[in-house]
Amino acid sequence: MINNILEFFTTVVVFTPKFIPGVFMTFKLSVLSIMMGTVFGLLAAMLKLSHNRLMEAFTDFYVTIVRGTPLLLQLIFIFYGLPQLGIEFNSFFSAVIGLAFHNGAYISEIFRGAIESIDYGQREAARAMGMTKYQTLRRVILPQAIKRSVPALGNQFIIAVKDSSLASAITITETLMLSRQFVAATYNVFPIFFIAACYYLLITSGLSRLLLRVERRFKIYER
Amino acid sequence: MIEIVNLHKYFKQLEVLKGIDMQVTKGEVVCIIGSSGSGKSTLLRCINFLEKKNEGQIWVGGQLVQDTEIDIINLRRKVGMVFQRFNLFPHMTALENVMEGPLTIKKFDKVSARDIAFAYLDKVGLADKANEYPARLSGGQQQRVGIARAMAMEPEVILFDEPTSALDPELVGEVLKVMKDMAKEGMTMVIVTHEMGFAREVSDQVLFLHEGIVAERGTPRDIFELPQHDRLKSFLGQVCLTA
Repeated sequence: MINNILEFFTTVVVFTPKFIPGVFMTFKLSVLSIMMGTVFGLLAAMLKLSHNRLMEAFTDFYVTIVRGTPLLLQLIFIFYGLPQLGIEFNSFFSAVIGLAFHNGAYISEIFRGAIESIDYGQREAARAMGMTKYQTLRRVILPQAIKRSVPALGNQFIIAVKDSSLASAITITETLMLSRQFVAATYNVFPIFFIAACYYLLITSGLSRLLLRVERRFKIYER
Repeated sequence: MIEIVNLHKYFKQLEVLKGIDMQVTKGEVVCIIGSSGSGKSTLLRCINFLEKKNEGQIWVGGQLVQDTEIDIINLRRKVGMVFQRFNLFPHMTALENVMEGPLTIKKFDKVSARDIAFAYLDKVGLADKANEYPARLSGGQQQRVGIARAMAMEPEVILFDEPTSALDPELVGEVLKVMKDMAKEGMTMVIVTHEMGFAREVSDQVLFLHEGIVAERGTPRDIFELPQHDRLKSFLGQVCLTA
């Protein structure tokens, strides 16, 4: 018993620093896929609300595909499937593209909901002053919509961090892949996965605190 | 200044406006009265194309306004609007709300936009509230900011869509006072209102709308003291202000 506990702690102490490269990769994947996903999401939301039938159909198609198939399948498809059509990306790029595409679809729905929730009078007031559609969007609608989407967006960002672990299926050595390699080498399952879980918790709880601060800053103008 | 010829507006099958003609000359205050559903607000909203007319012509400053994005935007820069529900931008302070037009639409630099905005806020008596967000202002104060926002574009006409209907009774006076001052200074105004006392006092021309047509028009004296139309008589009776 004592021995077990001792072994647990020594493994934790020895292996915690060895996770750094994997955690760094998780971090890189998360940040890139969140940023690109937000851009994709905003673009898709704009297209969806463009009143252009073709653009609407295009974004519907995008959202349907992404939401209707598993992320794991999407990643495997991009990395192992697309090369057959002559479209080849390295594993890191495949992972980032796949994750960003996936997040983008969900984020577009978050933005669309937020934009549609803005009182119609806001648009009318802006347009009646003589603003163009673009000015109305940029100066009046988006600032309010983005504020409203922060809580849901934060949720999606946290999911994005955890989903980055699926990149291990396409040869990316991120936190989960690295822990499996350590487990294979040491057969010491429990402490290794325990460390991995702690690292994920660290990233996600840091992120949610950051998001809470953003939310609070946005609250200034509500009485 | 504004001339409307034979304006028709349908909502689906329902004909809301059945051929309206009206003229507004420079410096004139025109009040549009009538019971709810008579088409007053629709008429006002057709003038700046917030509602698209189905038939008829709208002339502003001697030019026929076509149903194109460019024409409509040019029209709106000349024709301000004040809304029943204020529609201030909640993410901007009172000052920023008023600055928005000069800054974004007229492309003034920040310093001059701020100066203009401050001057108009001062004019509506809210210089001390410049840095408050709309949520911190009373309804009357919000509507005065709304008026300052419209004036900051220095339009040739301002349309008022029931500007006091969403206000608590004790706050109506402060908004009407600002509007009276504007009328005195020669601002051209088209006002949809239920405030008969106000309409009688400030307007040069009153239009009584009934079921989508101008049932009666004239000076406040004609309308309030010598109403001809039975509908107008009963309407004035209902609002308890018959002479």
